Amino acid sequence: MEAKVYKDDRQTVLVCCGTGCTANGGREVFRAFQKRLENHPEMEVLPVIKATGCNGWCEKGPLVRLMPRDITYCSVAEKDVDEIVDKTLLEGVLIKRLLYRDPVSKEHLTSHHLTDFYRKQHKIALRNIGEIDPGQINDYIEREGYQALKKALQDMDGQAVIDAVKTAGLRGRGGGGFPTGSKWQSCRDAKGEPKYIICNGDEGDPGAFMDRSIMEGDPHTVIEGMILGAYAVGATHGYIYVRDEYDLAVQYLGQAVKDARQQGYLGSNIMGSELSFDIELVRGGGAFVCGEETALMASIEGRTGEPRDKYVYPTEKGLWGKPTIINNVETWANVPVIILHGAEAFAAIGTEKSKGTKVFSLVGKVVNTGLVEVPMGTTLREIIYEIGGGVLKKRRFKAVQTGGPSGGCIPASLLDLPIDFDSLTEAGSMMGSGGLIVMDDHTCMVEVARYYVNFLAGESCGKCTPCREGIRAMLEILTDICNGKGKLEDLQLLEDISATMQEASLCALGRTAPNPVLSTLRYFRDEYIEHIENRFCPAGICRELTTFYIDPEKCTGCTLCMKSCAVNAITGEKKQVHVIDESSCIRCGECYRTCNFDAIKLARRDRHEN
Amino acid sequence: MKIKLNGQEREAQKGESILELCRRENVTIPTFCYHQAFGGQGACRMCMVEVIEKGRKESRLVAACTYPLNSPVEIITESPRIQRMRRTLVMLLARRADRHPLLKEMAESYDAPHLGAIETKPADCILCGLCIHACEEMGRSAIWSMFRGIDKRIATPYDEAADDCMGCAACARVCPTQAIKVEEAGSERKIWNKTFELIACQRCGKRYATREEIEYLQERSGYQQEHLCESCRKKTLAINMKNYLQ
Repeated sequence: MEAKVYKDDRQTVLVCCGTGCTANGGREVFRAFQKRLENHPEMEVLPVIKATGCNGWCEKGPLVRLMPRDITYCSVAEKDVDEIVDKTLLEGVLIKRLLYRDPVSKEHLTSHHLTDFYRKQHKIALRNIGEIDPGQINDYIEREGYQALKKALQDMDGQAVIDAVKTAGLRGRGGGGFPTGSKWQSCRDAKGEPKYIICNGDEGDPGAFMDRSIMEGDPHTVIEGMILGAYAVGATHGYIYVRDEYDLAVQYLGQAVKDARQQGYLGSNIMGSELSFDIELVRGGGAFVCGEETALMASIEGRTGEPRDKYVYPTEKGLWGKPTIINNVETWANVPVIILHGAEAFAAIGTEKSKGTKVFSLVGKVVNTGLVEVPMGTTLREIIYEIGGGVLKKRRFKAVQTGGPSGGCIPASLLDLPIDFDSLTEAGSMMGSGGLIVMDDHTCMVEVARYYVNFLAGESCGKCTPCREGIRAMLEILTDICNGKGKLEDLQLLEDISATMQEASLCALGRTAPNPVLSTLRYFRDEYIEHIENRFCPAGICRELTTFYIDPEKCTGCTLCMKSCAVNAITGEKKQVHVIDESSCIRCGECYRTCNFDAIKLARRDRHEN
Repeated sequence: MKIKLNGQEREAQKGESILELCRRENVTIPTFCYHQAFGGQGACRMCMVEVIEKGRKESRLVAACTYPLNSPVEIITESPRIQRMRRTLVMLLARRADRHPLLKEMAESYDAPHLGAIETKPADCILCGLCIHACEEMGRSAIWSMFRGIDKRIATPYDEAADDCMGCAACARVCPTQAIKVEEAGSERKIWNKTFELIACQRCGKRYATREEIEYLQERSGYQQEHLCESCRKKTLAINMKNYLQ
């Protein structure tokens, strides 16, 4: 295989240095390229090397992309760098082992754009990520950066910007799906000075990293969106509230704000216009509840991050009692595209009531974990099977958890559900910020509900009775069920408590907190009953209820289970039937998940012991 | 502004809360976290009522203590839906102070099932937050809520004797469940892990306030006074008034 060499072409090496790739050695790869290409004697024109944001394909990272040839190398290690330079950059020869091999066609694909993972995606919010160095404002400018702002300042007034956002049908990407244009309108119409713009970057759902990758990979799009928002409503001050744990995001956003100020995109008389607007970075302490907008504002004000009743919207009385718009990172990232390329083009994508695309972080028991951006209305099946490559180890799909702790679990029967804000809510879950956690048949749905409730037990602010005490009671009940102490009437109690939490809680965290419980009760009630009546966990997760044994008929003596056992409870010779010693087994289920021959079986713990 | 309250037309002031209107109109709404000195917190959620806003057919539940009356709405303060919700709330909250008469009575009146008591620190605290407000209003903020979620509790920083605490016991006085313990013996008062000296009234000799509180109040008011307990202060005031009028 050979690709043509263009010795005089300026080549670019894009090394993914998103959080996932950095953890896998992306930075080392980047530095190795820098070192190797420094005054390379044979290179007539030295390539440009860029550390980019997250490409989304975290499963295959660190990714290295070579432009303009459009070659993508997967799982690149430091030691591969010399070979890439010598063979591909200099000679144009492809290195087969670093290319992605399609699992179905078995073909080696030269570019990531050819893979199923990318082909089905439609990038708007993530359009620049992976293509630019997030630390370089000029990289952003080269890719139409700040052009939307220029257009708005020259050809549109504030109302026209709002009208465009309304026509585009943009809805808040942070979870609620509130129409962004209406929000802005009410802030523009509100009396009070100054007005504030807030970017909510307090992403806290377990398994979610959409906003993180935007802030890390393309910080200027967020800033440009916010400036457009400021222009639309007449705001003078902006805040980006970002979790302090998002180290890279804090770093790149800080740099971006500084650079934007220096180039006249922030500050007084932006681009020579009447508009004056500046942004300050606020680092959040990592409380999940601070993603709730009134709690977030309280946190910026220096008070305890507790929500307040929103009978008067923040657009009228928000930060320091002044009109405020607060939108999520991804929402802001969509705004420049809407202004520059037109509301109609944006509205042409998606479903009737949910326009544009949505970024999802696809994780769990799925082949291709990573970040995907798809048009609204894409089905769960397309995302999980076509983009995600299906369930790991070809196991049976059981459920997908959407929307984090506020969302729910959607069963296999709803895989063909076209996802948008409304369809997910109808299914008893919610869009949330876009977490998608795929679960296979080794997942206990009662335990999943318990996990989320436990998460919220630590993350609710604890201010209002229904949320704090409701979560406490639900956690006790679910823990009892998982420990084999559940009663059938508990299910009714769970539903009663849930109903009150949904009606009476102060903020959306409490109102949606029962969703993981209610959705699993709705779709997997049998599993609850199995735990309660038969004292059995069909997924083999609840330790008090299950025990494992090896089926001698099926065991091949491969020793895999033995190696996976943390407490050496499995004994056996190679190619001979293995045995689990129940007295030392801690019932972690690792062997059950490892076995490739279905030889490890589950049994009811009490039945087996008696 | 005309408001419909339980089917009857009532006059409301713009911006006041539903609870303020109801208190004035003698419509009973149960609350745990409301005190007129601090306004609504929306924390206990017992005061939730149904409102039907203009242009809507269906009612929604709102907290009466924080919902501001800005437009003509219809308010319903009792309904099966409200009853059901309060019953669950009382069931959940009563666990924190299940032997306290206030919660016991409330649980009985709503026929709330017994879920089993939980331990709280301090005992019987229902986390209404009134003590925090009282302390903040006194200008001290010596106590605050610690932690989040189900671990939330009221405490001084690090549970140690707080520099800012002046032992005024305003927190204990507003506590609806008497959860904040004030121990007084002789010339000493103990509260929040801190011991204070109680100053005697210069007229009757009764030990009535801590030295820190008296000094703080004198400093804040800029007014040096005789050290007088409440009843002696009233007596003095009455005598002064009488002399003045004569």
